[in-house]
Amino acid sequence: MAYRTYLMVCAGTGCVANQSMKIKDKLESEIRKRGLQDEVSVVTTGCNGFCAVGPLMVVQPDGIFYQLLKETDIPFLVEEHFVKGRLVKELLYTPPREKAPIPKMSDIPFFADQTLIVLRNRGLINPENIDEYIARGGYQALAKVLTLMTPDQVIQEIKASGLRGRGGGGFPTGIKWETCKNVPSDTHYVICNADEGDPGAFMDRSTIESDPHAVIEGMLIGAYAIGSREGYVYIRNEYPIALERLQVAIKQAREYGLLGQKIFNKDFDFEIRIVRGAGAFVCGESTALMASIEGRPGEPRAKYVHTVERGLWDKPTCLNNVETWANVPQIIEKGAGWFSSIGTGDVTSDAWGGSKGTKVFSLAGKVNNTGLIEVPMGITLRKIIFDIGGGIKDGKKFKAVQTGGPSGGFIPESLLDLPVDYEELTKVGSMMGSGGMVVADENNCMVDMAKYFLAFTQAESCGKCVPCREGTKRMLDILEKITVGKGTEEDLVLLEELSNMVVESSLCALGGSAPNPVLTTLKYFREEYEAHVKDKHCPGHSCRELIQYIIDPELCLGKGHGCHVCAKNCPDGAIVGETKQVHTIDVMKCGKCGICYDVCKFDAIHIE
Amino acid sequence: MVTINIDGKSVEVLEETTILKAAEQAGVWIPTMCHSEHLEPYGVCRLCSVEVVRGKRSRIVTACNFPVRGGMTIHTNSKKVQWLRQVIMELMLSRWPRVRVVKEMAERLAVKEPRFPSLERDEAEDACILCGMCVNMCNDVVKAGVLGFAHSGIKREVVLPFDERSDSCIVCGACAHVCPTGHIKVILEDYRGKKPEFTLGPKTPIYVPTLQAVPRVPVIDAESCIHFETGGCEICAKVCEPNAIDYSMQDEIVEIEVGQVLVSTGFDLFDASAMAQYGYGRLDNVYSSLEFESILNSTGPTGGKIVMKSGKEPKAVGIIHCIGSRDTNHHAYCSRVCCMYALKFAHLVRDRTDAAIYQFYIDMRAFGKGYEEFYNRLLDEGVTMIRGKAAEVVEGCWQGNGEPSLKIRCEDTLIGKFREVPVDMVVLCNAIEPRRDSDAVRRLFSISKSPDGFFLERHPKLDPTSTATEGVFIAGCAQGPKDIPDTVAQAGSAAARILSVIAKGEVEIEPVRAMVQEEYCSGCKICNNLCPYIAIEFLEEKKVSHVNEALCKGCGTCVAACPSSAMTGHGFTDAQILAELDGLMI
Ligand SMILES: Cc1cc2nc3c(=O)[nH]c(=O)nc-3n(C[C@H](O)[C@H](O)[C@H](O)COP(=O)(O)O)c2cc1C
Ligand code: SF4
Ligand code: SF4
Ligand code: FES
Repeated sequence: MAYRTYLMVCAGTGCVANQSMKIKDKLESEIRKRGLQDEVSVVTTGCNGFCAVGPLMVVQPDGIFYQLLKETDIPFLVEEHFVKGRLVKELLYTPPREKAPIPKMSDIPFFADQTLIVLRNRGLINPENIDEYIARGGYQALAKVLTLMTPDQVIQEIKASGLRGRGGGGFPTGIKWETCKNVPSDTHYVICNADEGDPGAFMDRSTIESDPHAVIEGMLIGAYAIGSREGYVYIRNEYPIALERLQVAIKQAREYGLLGQKIFNKDFDFEIRIVRGAGAFVCGESTALMASIEGRPGEPRAKYVHTVERGLWDKPTCLNNVETWANVPQIIEKGAGWFSSIGTGDVTSDAWGGSKGTKVFSLAGKVNNTGLIEVPMGITLRKIIFDIGGGIKDGKKFKAVQTGGPSGGFIPESLLDLPVDYEELTKVGSMMGSGGMVVADENNCMVDMAKYFLAFTQAESCGKCVPCREGTKRMLDILEKITVGKGTEEDLVLLEELSNMVVESSLCALGGSAPNPVLTTLKYFREEYEAHVKDKHCPGHSCRELIQYIIDPELCLGKGHGCHVCAKNCPDGAIVGETKQVHTIDVMKCGKCGICYDVCKFDAIHIE
Repeated sequence: MVTINIDGKSVEVLEETTILKAAEQAGVWIPTMCHSEHLEPYGVCRLCSVEVVRGKRSRIVTACNFPVRGGMTIHTNSKKVQWLRQVIMELMLSRWPRVRVVKEMAERLAVKEPRFPSLERDEAEDACILCGMCVNMCNDVVKAGVLGFAHSGIKREVVLPFDERSDSCIVCGACAHVCPTGHIKVILEDYRGKKPEFTLGPKTPIYVPTLQAVPRVPVIDAESCIHFETGGCEICAKVCEPNAIDYSMQDEIVEIEVGQVLVSTGFDLFDASAMAQYGYGRLDNVYSSLEFESILNSTGPTGGKIVMKSGKEPKAVGIIHCIGSRDTNHHAYCSRVCCMYALKFAHLVRDRTDAAIYQFYIDMRAFGKGYEEFYNRLLDEGVTMIRGKAAEVVEGCWQGNGEPSLKIRCEDTLIGKFREVPVDMVVLCNAIEPRRDSDAVRRLFSISKSPDGFFLERHPKLDPTSTATEGVFIAGCAQGPKDIPDTVAQAGSAAARILSVIAKGEVEIEPVRAMVQEEYCSGCKICNNLCPYIAIEFLEEKKVSHVNEALCKGCGTCVAACPSSAMTGHGFTDAQILAELDGLMI
């Protein structure tokens, strides 16, 4: 039955956590109350990307975007929009520092500058219904491959497209497939890496949640090209929704004969098994991941023999990231030429010569629009942060952006016009990584940021090899020393030396990249380190040991008339002064919690 | 073969060997801290990092696991490599400042004071340095799967599952063997293998059965060998150059048809721990005669050196005679050989050490050719002979310097005084006793034993080598305690007896013997077990009993017992006797 209107309610992890399922129930009951159930249909979709304003909903086919919904808004919304045909302005999106709301999703800058390949179906289909995927052209690429193409032709197509691994390394996917296929063996495996251990990143989770069949179809095409009959999806256990959608999708695909034996009545069998990961970051590393699937401890091993030759159970194995797999059906369907027209460089002679297609990032930190975005390769960091991201929160100044997850480097303002490109990012000391992007503003202390990310990788080090286990620990100790004002100039030298040593001699890429945040901040923000060491001063005003809260007497009395709010809220009883008098902070008692700074309505409290 | 260049030297090596092996071949040293030739490379200490140059690109790789490829140029001592080693070593030294292998390596790499204080210092001298060799040994080689790592990052440690003694640990000790720091200790009481004949020295599942074994080849005790337990290990096969180890060999039972048998199954040594007063098995440095024999042997555990458990030479040795012999609580008989071997021991101790020697004897029985002379010579060599049976051995200490030692207490019957003699080492002259399985052997061959438990000869004077069973002979200590010349003489005589029958080609059988009249035999088998000469067997296919004429002595026991009167004397069936009577009466 065709409906007049579809309400696409986001059921991604972020929105579900904000009660979007209750909103959906309420919408349905309100619609029924008004007898509109035959005209308006409520559909749950995967993550829409703009998680910052969830729970959200898109009214199709008009593309009206409603945000920050509450259960109590629903009766009014239904009444106004679907009965009376008027938009509810209060629930539309209004860009920061502007007055007029933007009703149409495609006009919102967050969406306008994105290019959707991997996430093309997000918010448009019900991910638990295979028919909706098929209706959007799904499984046509598989049909094309199985009926019209040889495995070699498939590999040629992927090679020509310039697709490179989206999981971190950026290895040319076509070459990986070809090498794997050419290793003689009775069994070849394909694996989808959905471990996604980066803190705060959720590209892969969202891809699976909003379009699981794209990943399955990609794996099927890869399996056909490589000659594999068995595939695994290694997914972290903390992703219950993604896991469930994937299970449903696999079941439906099997029912439709798209998995199993004699697929499309061709001599091609393929099965996918799901393996749940225990959640260690290092399990995303290829050898550790395979060890984990085999039931051994998830630790990397030294691999001078590549996993494409000897991987899972010593058989040739092709491991690709979720996003990499999800790109494949589109490339087959629309052609390598279309894909390689997006992005930078030229991949016809050198597979490493450019970055093609799009990349999904999870934009976080001090930008206005946090969320999941998909942008064409070659877009500048500035455009991502200031157009899509809507600029820095609270009108503060931009300081740095970290790309590539916890072991990515920090890129300073002077390099903001850098295009998103594997080589360009590596050149400046960072990396594409799997797509984490964290923005820091003027109030972030770069030493502290480096320490924060190093603390993560240090804690996630499996502890197998000496440089990473011992080295990152000592680096963290030195950073700790610096942030409490006890660092010396020799410490900076030692820190740099240790960082380089860990990069050079660690066993796996975790150690090999963990010092990146330290190395890049040392390179671009050395003056901040020196301020900590020499002047015992934290320019970002964030290292507790190095700051002091001070009350400006003129503002306190002049503007606030000694309101006494700060004194009431101070947990340490460190603020002295009576109402209508100047207040002062007793430095000896002050625990530097910053509560007074936040509660003072007159900005009378400063950090020094 | 491919040619590579290591530190300017050109070497030819097999393709795919590791850089480490290739360097060894080229005589270039590369430091390692997690590598063992018995294990697959683990690649975690990263100390073996070297610089590999191919074309314009240079990269750091670990030598222990990186395979060489033709045309490769390797720098094992470039500035960068030196720097990496230095920092890695600083990290290790600051964490384990007192572990010997770490200190030694640091010294060799000229790393002195690490530049960082470590918060996680481990001050133990035998601390675990997380090289992983024990874990890999246990899992990949032994395949017992006991040891593993717990916790990640800086908290990593080697653990037993659930931190408890594990039942799957087969106590092979392989982990302790590879551990470079001595962190792992194996409690040896747990050794589950067979006790080899000589209990001194290291015990392994593969061993040469006795010191003078012929042929002198090792055997594998399948009960304690790791390979038969887990399917892993196979280290002996890996190190055996002639490829002589064959795990598929099975125990076999071989049947040989023979006409005569010489039973010379030897003796057991009396277990002196049954006489608690002498401290055997309880006190250190109290040995049985056979153990002392192995100490004296140049292929024995000490290489023939007479040393105590501490490795030091004893200052005094006491030799106690008649342990279990001439003792109504154990064996009333004299074991005959002890006096002489005790004298031999004394002589060798005198020869090899400066220790004082005491012999505690009841009577000195030096009865053989040249024996008395040997005894007199020993008296001249300054061996102290104390007549009197030692009462007990106790722990004590040397008067004067307080060093721990043993004390032998006894009554010196020549001077009529009680004495306490301090010694460092005690050798017991254990009795010779019948083997523990001698009853089973006896039954098998249907031979008897004398009251002392040794096999009984047909006649002590006239026929000391044959037995009551025709064709079964005995020789050596199986028949009674005796020394080597006597054993050789008795065995020679038995052999001659056996040969005389073989030479004749036929045996004379007794005219009086039993016979089964098969048509009457009901197959009840009553006679089978009654025959003292095991002469009756049962023919399964005919279901009747049958008398082996060569063994039957014609005693008639079976004839009397047969309920069907099927058993009769040969030539004495009822029908024959009646026929004879008929003949007489004509
Ligand atoms: C410490 C570490 C963690 C990693 N985590 C992930 C991950 O969560 N997801 C992922 O796809 N790749 C991860 N990788 C990269 C994988 O090792 C591998 O390169 C990738 O899955 C290959 O797929 P691709 O070629 O499609 O990128 C990680 C690598 C390292 C060293
Ligand atoms: S002794 Fe036990 S723990 Fe050690 S290697 Fe053998 S089986 Fe493993
Ligand atoms: S216990 Fe010994 S062998 Fe095992 S990891 Fe520690 S240092 Fe290495
Ligand atoms: S010996 Fe090669 S890494 Fe330890």
